[in-house]
Amino acid sequence: MAEKPRLLLSSSPSIYSGMNVQRLMLFVIIALLPTTLYGVYLYGMPALTTVLVSILSCVFFEVTFRKLTKAKQNYKDLSAIVTGILLALVLPPSTPWWMTVIGALASIVVAKEFFGGLGHNPFNPALIGRAVLLMSFPAALTTWHKPFQAIADATTTATPLNIIKLGGTLSDVAQSLGVTQPADVYLTLFLGNRAGCIGESSILLILVGGIFLLATGTIRIITPLSMILTAFLFSLLLGMDPLFQILSGGLVFGAVFMATDYVSTPLTPKGKILFGVGAGIITMLIRKFGGFPEGTSYGILIMNAFTPYLNTLVTKKYGYVSGRNNP
Amino acid sequence: MQVKTFKGGTHPPEKKELAKDVPIEYHLSPKQVVIHLNQHTGAPNQPLVKVGDKVSRGQKIASSEGKLMIPHHASICGVVKKIEPRPQANLQDGVAIVIEADGRTEEAFLPPLDPFACTRAEAIERIKEAGIVGMGGAGFPAWMKLSPPPTKPIDLVIANGAECEPYLTIDYRTLKEQAPSVVYGLGVCLQVLGVKRGIIAIEDNKIDLVPILAEAVTDFLKGPGAGKGFDISIRVLKTKYPQGGEKMLITALTGREVPSGGLPMDVGTVVQNVGTLKAIAEAFLQGKPLIDRGFTATGSACKTPKNLVVPIGTVLSDLIPDVIQIGEDLRRVIFGGPMMGVSVPTLEIPIQKNTSGVVFMDSREALVYEEGTCIRCGRCIQACSCRLSPALLNEAILANDWDLADKLGLLDCIECGTCSYVCPAHVYLVQRFRVGKLTLRAVKAAKTKKGGN
Repeated sequence: MAEKPRLLLSSSPSIYSGMNVQRLMLFVIIALLPTTLYGVYLYGMPALTTVLVSILSCVFFEVTFRKLTKAKQNYKDLSAIVTGILLALVLPPSTPWWMTVIGALASIVVAKEFFGGLGHNPFNPALIGRAVLLMSFPAALTTWHKPFQAIADATTTATPLNIIKLGGTLSDVAQSLGVTQPADVYLTLFLGNRAGCIGESSILLILVGGIFLLATGTIRIITPLSMILTAFLFSLLLGMDPLFQILSGGLVFGAVFMATDYVSTPLTPKGKILFGVGAGIITMLIRKFGGFPEGTSYGILIMNAFTPYLNTLVTKKYGYVSGRNNP
Repeated sequence: MQVKTFKGGTHPPEKKELAKDVPIEYHLSPKQVVIHLNQHTGAPNQPLVKVGDKVSRGQKIASSEGKLMIPHHASICGVVKKIEPRPQANLQDGVAIVIEADGRTEEAFLPPLDPFACTRAEAIERIKEAGIVGMGGAGFPAWMKLSPPPTKPIDLVIANGAECEPYLTIDYRTLKEQAPSVVYGLGVCLQVLGVKRGIIAIEDNKIDLVPILAEAVTDFLKGPGAGKGFDISIRVLKTKYPQGGEKMLITALTGREVPSGGLPMDVGTVVQNVGTLKAIAEAFLQGKPLIDRGFTATGSACKTPKNLVVPIGTVLSDLIPDVIQIGEDLRRVIFGGPMMGVSVPTLEIPIQKNTSGVVFMDSREALVYEEGTCIRCGRCIQACSCRLSPALLNEAILANDWDLADKLGLLDCIECGTCSYVCPAHVYLVQRFRVGKLTLRAVKAAKTKKGGN
């Protein structure tokens, strides 16, 4: 007779919620789909190539690095795919494929695996990838194309933020976007038919993804809300057009998908609020005074460095009210 | 009625439907009972009987001199066969008195006592002599809760019928079938403490109990509790784990927070499980010590989910298969609920004074996970019922930073397991905190000693 299997012994709890890392990453991928597909729709093959090259190289680098260092393979958690999509979405559609590969190398190997892989990276891997490329190839990373034009032979254009940075007015932006009324600029920016990075243009579709992430409990609204609100108020303070500042560039994309990255942002509610405030302020300072027209990625990366400190701002624990609080 | 709750917590599948509608069955004649000497908080008892002695149901067989003294009683008539270590639900395998039934039916109960006529000291002595401990799980002597020092005035007694652990339904059935006993027990506590205000608290998944409880309260206030000025209300709380934890219950009902390291009496409240209150009622009305208890036998590998009352010390395996039928695919047995209960290695374990349920799980349900890496999603922080930061505590413990762990409130953890339940990476959070609390206490004790030199 076969021996009866022994009873399982482990410290309680004996049941689990069923949520796992793979499912959370899948939610993020699903949330990124609308804006990714829209980017491909706007810019065609070059955008699709960038997305695919980025995903494949990220997965390749993770698997290879882990193989070489004899570490456990983690590709099933889908986090490399998420990094791959995020990196592609913050690159211009015309980025040469080999640059994308270098960006993926920086993201996965330098920013993530050197620190121990998922859960240990102090900085957002995709943004490190973008930062490395922006420093190494500033021209290519600031070359923009109008939507619905073949990138190979089309003339380049400027992003709305570029136009404003170079002293342009809302009318100049309207002209560039091909709308007649300066007031229509906001609607066009919200819907996303403009030059920019692959995934950052349609605020509407980014928000759709964000709402999905909120509905599935994947992210909390605290950080994006505090970042966008701060950016709004601070740009007002700096004498900029706050609505235009929010709707253009990568601010909303960064707030929804980058400032909510689990590993590189604070865990505690207070920390999350301050992270958003800091990222919003730095973004606007760069846009107003910095050398680049856009500052979202640096705003978030700089705040990543503050995360360990922000994590010390924990919520008031149960049972530490002063005195006896009788009715 | 406003449904209140606490901050944090989680919603595990209730699974209460398995046994919820099965009336309590009584199986009071096992062939043997195994009564452990250490089934309560406090020093273990000394046996008052020796091998070969004849004992009757209700006879005191073990006691001690300690501060948290609580005696144990024979739960059946029989002969003491052995006094030796036996497997136990807390895995300590302490010394137990083994009594073999001899078929007699004598009862050596105490004389009935009117709690509303006797003195406070007499009433407390009765609750102590009846060997009553908290039956919700902790096993804290009930009389201790009813004897607060004069510096800690009490103004509220809460009957805890929240039963927030998934699967378990014995408190629900007790309230449904024996509401008058529970209300009487609550009345006794109010009388002993000299308190007017009592609350019976349930979660809103047991809302059908409200009219039953209301009727029992009305009857009590007209009957034995008449003219005392008692104000007993029924309060419905949100169904959320761990709503039945003493601290969460008090905060949900009163807004008061039990201070760190303190007891409910520090905020003027006393909380008693409804099963405990029923036992208190019986100790006065029938003079019956705590010798029987109800529990829920349930789970995916239990073919006969039901609520049972058995003599304390009834060995689980003696109930199988006549009373409880178990499937072939049994992989885990939990004494208590799935969130805080203890997984045991054998079925040769007796039902103790604090056994509220036994959950049998099959291989599909009994899962263990390899520990993953924290992805810092913060779910544990959102869910922690004590508003701690489990992810950060975990890091502090892994880094052996005991000062930080202390600062982050490691000793305030009530070990409810919510953090581990919600963790998507299956980090062994509460498991590490249990061990960590012991280490931190040792580290602190060592430090104090050093400081004294």
